[in-house]
Amino acid sequence: MIIPMAKVRILGPRERMDSALTALQDFGLLHLGDASVVPGLGAQPSDSRQARRERHLRRAVTDLMDALRLVGAPPRAEPAMRPEEIDLRHVVRMARKVARRARALDARRVALGEERLLLERYRDFLAAVRPVLQRLAGSPRLTSYAVVIPAAAKDALKTLNDALRAEVGPDFATASRELPGGDLAVLLVLPLSFAQRLESRLAESRVPEIPVPAEYKGKPLTEVVPAMLARLEAIPGELAVVEKDRRNLGDTTRREMSRYLATLQDCLTSLEARRRVGVTPRAFALEGWLPYSKSGDLRNMLRDRVGEAVVVEELAREAWAAEDAPVVLHNPRLFRPFEAIVRVLPLPAYGSIDPTPFVAVFFPMFFGMMLGDIGYGIVLALLGMWLHHRSRPGSLMRTVSEIAGPCAAFSIVFGALYGEFFGDLGTRFGLQALWFDRGESVMAALALAAGIGAVHIVVGLAVGVAGAWRFHRRQAIGRGVSGLMVVLVIVTLLAAFDVLPGRLFTPAVIAMLVAFPVLVAVEGFLAPLELLATLGNVLSYTRIMALGTASVMLAVVANRMVGAIGSTVVGVLFALLFHLVNFAIGLFSPSIHAMRLHFVEFFGKFYSPGGRRYEPFGHWHPTPGA
Amino acid sequence: MDSMWIALSAALVLAVSAIATAWAQSRIGAAGAATLAEKPELSGTVIILVAIPETMVILGFVVAVLIILRGGG
Repeated sequence: MIIPMAKVRILGPRERMDSALTALQDFGLLHLGDASVVPGLGAQPSDSRQARRERHLRRAVTDLMDALRLVGAPPRAEPAMRPEEIDLRHVVRMARKVARRARALDARRVALGEERLLLERYRDFLAAVRPVLQRLAGSPRLTSYAVVIPAAAKDALKTLNDALRAEVGPDFATASRELPGGDLAVLLVLPLSFAQRLESRLAESRVPEIPVPAEYKGKPLTEVVPAMLARLEAIPGELAVVEKDRRNLGDTTRREMSRYLATLQDCLTSLEARRRVGVTPRAFALEGWLPYSKSGDLRNMLRDRVGEAVVVEELAREAWAAEDAPVVLHNPRLFRPFEAIVRVLPLPAYGSIDPTPFVAVFFPMFFGMMLGDIGYGIVLALLGMWLHHRSRPGSLMRTVSEIAGPCAAFSIVFGALYGEFFGDLGTRFGLQALWFDRGESVMAALALAAGIGAVHIVVGLAVGVAGAWRFHRRQAIGRGVSGLMVVLVIVTLLAAFDVLPGRLFTPAVIAMLVAFPVLVAVEGFLAPLELLATLGNVLSYTRIMALGTASVMLAVVANRMVGAIGSTVVGVLFALLFHLVNFAIGLFSPSIHAMRLHFVEFFGKFYSPGGRRYEPFGHWHPTPGA
Repeated sequence: MDSMWIALSAALVLAVSAIATAWAQSRIGAAGAATLAEKPELSGTVIILVAIPETMVILGFVVAVLIILRGGG
């Protein structure tokens, strides 16, 4: 339901304005309107010092958010300090210092990662040539080069050998190894006297040497290779130290930075609230909305904390427009997660009907009708429990896990009605459908889908009548007659096809003939078209049958893979994979379509969007994560 | 011969409605992606808009099933 709101006006002497604002921020329930535009009141004169302070506060908040992001620690809920306790310069200095340290650690981590990648690329080659190079260390007349020949030019090795033979004679040796990616690493060993000529030849032919870290540049390979291999072993340890430093940095600074952040955000919120205060030379006035049941608490709180001089006046309902009031949805604990589905659309207007209870009943029902499998339902329930265990209260994941519960329950119930356990697997072990088999009785599934659609649409029209009755009586009557016409059309069709007793046919047709002119008179000449669209909406629910049939057929195909493929083990693996794919589709597709049925077909009958978000003036809290 | 025509009709119904849905969704999806780039808060509306043309292929599927069942296939 949308909870009733009260609009209040708070009046008091100007010198009590700051204490009233502080008390209201602690109270945390008043959604402030703009009292500075009320005739007879004015905004507070602009103050350049205050504007400068606000700029500094915003910059400090940005610095703190950056620092927290860089240390990988989201802000947590910490009590705010008193504004006068905070030294803005210290906060900014600290945030920037933490950010600098975090960036340096990040840069070190990236550099170590790149170095490791480079060394790992040549690890096998370096390990293979290491014994050769150890032997070379005792031969001062020999020198060695390690070069890379690109994958596209592997023939160049033969050309290089030929060129060396022509240049050096037979006194040289080469060893090569293919690198990941196809390039070829080559070790050349030859007399020291040929070193200069070889270097110029390599430069001419643009054959690069194996890149070595900067600190080994210019050193002989006999020293470089063992050092590089040792370095490769040392890097994971250094990376762990960097990671630990980063964690420590987050752990040691997160609490303090979160506290500063909460304080600064509170200061900014308070400054924003001050802009909404209307003032005269001697008095101040504030306007805002709060839940109707809390207006007494507000009065008592202000009297206790600020004194009798500040008064709270509750404005009569006629004095404010519904579209200005913020909207608060409040539903029983079981229904509350489904508010997230309603919030996908703009909030319902104040004074209209909150569709959450209907969504909480019909959404999991439609989902269950489409998935309709005991096995998949159990897996979904386990997945929901795991998500619930892993998520924090108030996070999106927690909401999803709470929606998954009823969806899983309905899937299991409809699974039992259809006799499905991972498709037809249950049938092989004696599971029987309690109602009908979806794979066989397609017409029954179609009738069920259309029937539930008709019920849903009629409920939507009835809710529309209830919502419009108070302010738009004519519209309410029109919706009521539309609903009646839908029922009559369905009764007529069912009687015509002998599903209902044939004696109902004539009265239903007569009732339709009477209701039709009433509908046209109330809703206008477009009413027949609207009626056709409404009947079309009922047909749209046949998607429940279509998606359900597709789901069960995929599950049956998965089961038939066992035995259809030569090896039983391979068949079982394929079947599991197919079931996994079907389960993934079975989660996504019914969710989207159940949402669509609500948003387009059901909400279209009564939903009036346009509600404003309730954002009470209070203390800042970090947004809960997953 | 009859069953061939029944199967062909059912396939044709499904194919045409699937192509129509695909065409509509491609247009809406492209426009929806552009919308989300500028206004991510409209994701709910975009999901609904993309799902709307699916009615065509779903009704196509239902008609195909009816053709097969009523045609005795």
